[in-house]
Amino acid sequence: MSFKEFQNRARLYVIGALENGASREFEKARAGFGQKAEDFITECYRLHEAFALSLRPAKSSGALKERLMKMVRARKQSQPAGEQPQSQ
Amino acid sequence: MPRRPKIPLDGDPDESGPRLPAVSPQIEPGEPTDLELMLGIQQENPEALSKLYDRYNGIIKALILRVVHNEAEADDLLQEIFMELWNQAKNFSAQKGKPLGWMVTLARRRAIDGLRKKQAYMRAGERLQNETEQQPDAWVHNATEEEINLSDTRVLIRKVINSLPPAQQQAIDLAFFRGMSQREIAAKTNTPLGTVKTRLELGLKKIYDGLKELKDEL
Repeated sequence: MSFKEFQNRARLYVIGALENGASREFEKARAGFGQKAEDFITECYRLHEAFALSLRPAKSSGALKERLMKMVRARKQSQPAGEQPQSQ
Repeated sequence: MPRRPKIPLDGDPDESGPRLPAVSPQIEPGEPTDLELMLGIQQENPEALSKLYDRYNGIIKALILRVVHNEAEADDLLQEIFMELWNQAKNFSAQKGKPLGWMVTLARRRAIDGLRKKQAYMRAGERLQNETEQQPDAWVHNATEEEINLSDTRVLIRKVINSLPPAQQQAIDLAFFRGMSQREIAAKTNTPLGTVKTRLELGLKKIYDGLKELKDEL
């Protein structure tokens, strides 16, 4: 696979639109191109930001934030100092 | 009048051309950067999360709403996503991308998962049909909105997206905001699979290239 073809597939990959068959070839090419491939994929993830920023921001209630911050503080207090937060 | 966002342009040209501009909204002088806030969250500082929430809850909620089309569900997901951000902050690495990109990726995945769970309880085909008929080309539709309320960044990104033929916009919209595979898009739009692939590839490349050109305007 040429790097140009890899680039086309990387853009599909980051939005989750790469078909199963193409995924295997893509992963093989990704390993082959090494760091250059990783840098390009990281770059492609900026498409996500762009798509999100193309939308008009939506409003949220202040109560939602209060609830969230209450949960966060409760979570923090429930963890002994130095304990790592759990991964989900 | 809104100030023009100041977009940091990092990276040097390589053989794939200049890098995409970072498209994060402008941060007021003296305010912590997104990365500083992420570092604060990694150190379990709730104030850092509070600031990041204030900065991005509108964008993240808009993204979730675009997927789930339900205000109450969007609020629940928004709360879950920021809670996950708090819990998973240790996994964030600046080398892998920007905090906003990480948040958007997380939000999109959660929202699409939420949509799929819901569809398991509904007649998926019918629901999807209704929703895509209501908003077949959201980006096209949004282009007619009063742009006075939109930030400069958004207007410029929209300009890039709206320069695509509607069929390419629709294919990307279904893939990104619906999490649909190429086959699902082909079935949904009665289009050959090869055509869907071409639309996605061409559309994404045009957006990618268009964003690179925005470097001069942002």
